[in-house]
Amino acid sequence: MNGRKTTTFRAASGLSPHPDVLEARVGRRITARLTQRADELPNDITERLRVARQQAVDRARQLRKLSAAPAWQVQGNGSAVMAGPPSWWLRLASVVPLALLLAGLFVIQRTYLEQQIGAAVEIDEAILTDDLPPQAYTDPGFAEFLKSPRAAE
Amino acid sequence: MATDHELSDFLKSVEKRAFKRTAYAVRDDEAALDIVQDSMIRLAEKYADRPIGELPLLFQRILSNATMDWFRRQRVRNAVVQNFSDFEVEGDAGDFDLLETLQVADDALGTESASDTVGRAQILLQIEQEVEQLPQRQRQAFLLRYWEELDVAETAAVMGCSEGSVKTHCSRAVHALAKALRAKGIEP
Repeated sequence: MNGRKTTTFRAASGLSPHPDVLEARVGRRITARLTQRADELPNDITERLRVARQQAVDRARQLRKLSAAPAWQVQGNGSAVMAGPPSWWLRLASVVPLALLLAGLFVIQRTYLEQQIGAAVEIDEAILTDDLPPQAYTDPGFAEFLKSPRAAE
Repeated sequence: MATDHELSDFLKSVEKRAFKRTAYAVRDDEAALDIVQDSMIRLAEKYADRPIGELPLLFQRILSNATMDWFRRQRVRNAVVQNFSDFEVEGDAGDFDLLETLQVADDALGTESASDTVGRAQILLQIEQEVEQLPQRQRQAFLLRYWEELDVAETAAVMGCSEGSVKTHCSRAVHALAKALRAKGIEP
């Protein structure tokens, strides 16, 4: 019986629908029935869903207000407090001291290095421009002379 | 950015289906209401600044995650795996012809009598019960594809699986439902 109906339908249409199309049609028929059923939910459930939806919308509104409000507010006792999440400018401002500290350390290290180089240059210059040749400092006899009392005089 | 009005309209358009889908999954109306409420709040807190067009997919993901979280909590609480119905039944729809289902249903269109109207609520309840009895992943794929009208890629994204798996789950679900409903004398 059913097999005959199928054959008749296919013959009449001249087309055999793709399985995906058939499944989609059956699926949509079933979910249409589910929609009818969902539209008949009891009042207590629809009311709770309405309250939940309202709470969600209120929450979104609160968060929007907080993000749009000024960053600082003065309280009743005169103290200033942060209102809402910090803005991008405040976050940037909190990074600036750290950046300044790192720049300062870099400058100090660089200055110290230059001072050391300067001192080494002065020593080299003094040795090279002295009457005594630099090779004299490697001479054991001259070293003995420097230790002797005559050299101290 | 979605306005309050747009957000409210969107939530209103999905809340009943969201509740029913969750209730099919958790089989507890109170828990389903809590999950839907949490999902709405989470959407409002984290994604209310997104364009309205992005909200449907985001909401489905949040709802799916919240439902999975509920199952995890239940599992920890009970220390027992209860969802024996999640086991897939393979190969029992082999000789079933969907085309017959559609043909008979087409024949029935426009012929609803007074007695049919009286029995409509009962039929809807039976359809709902059959949907509830589907394995969880099949039911999720079926409802996302054909009730929420997500495409295959979006359904795969929400379910965290491949598009091929979505097609397989949907196909099995449709065949299982059509077969079960016909066995009860109901044409989908």
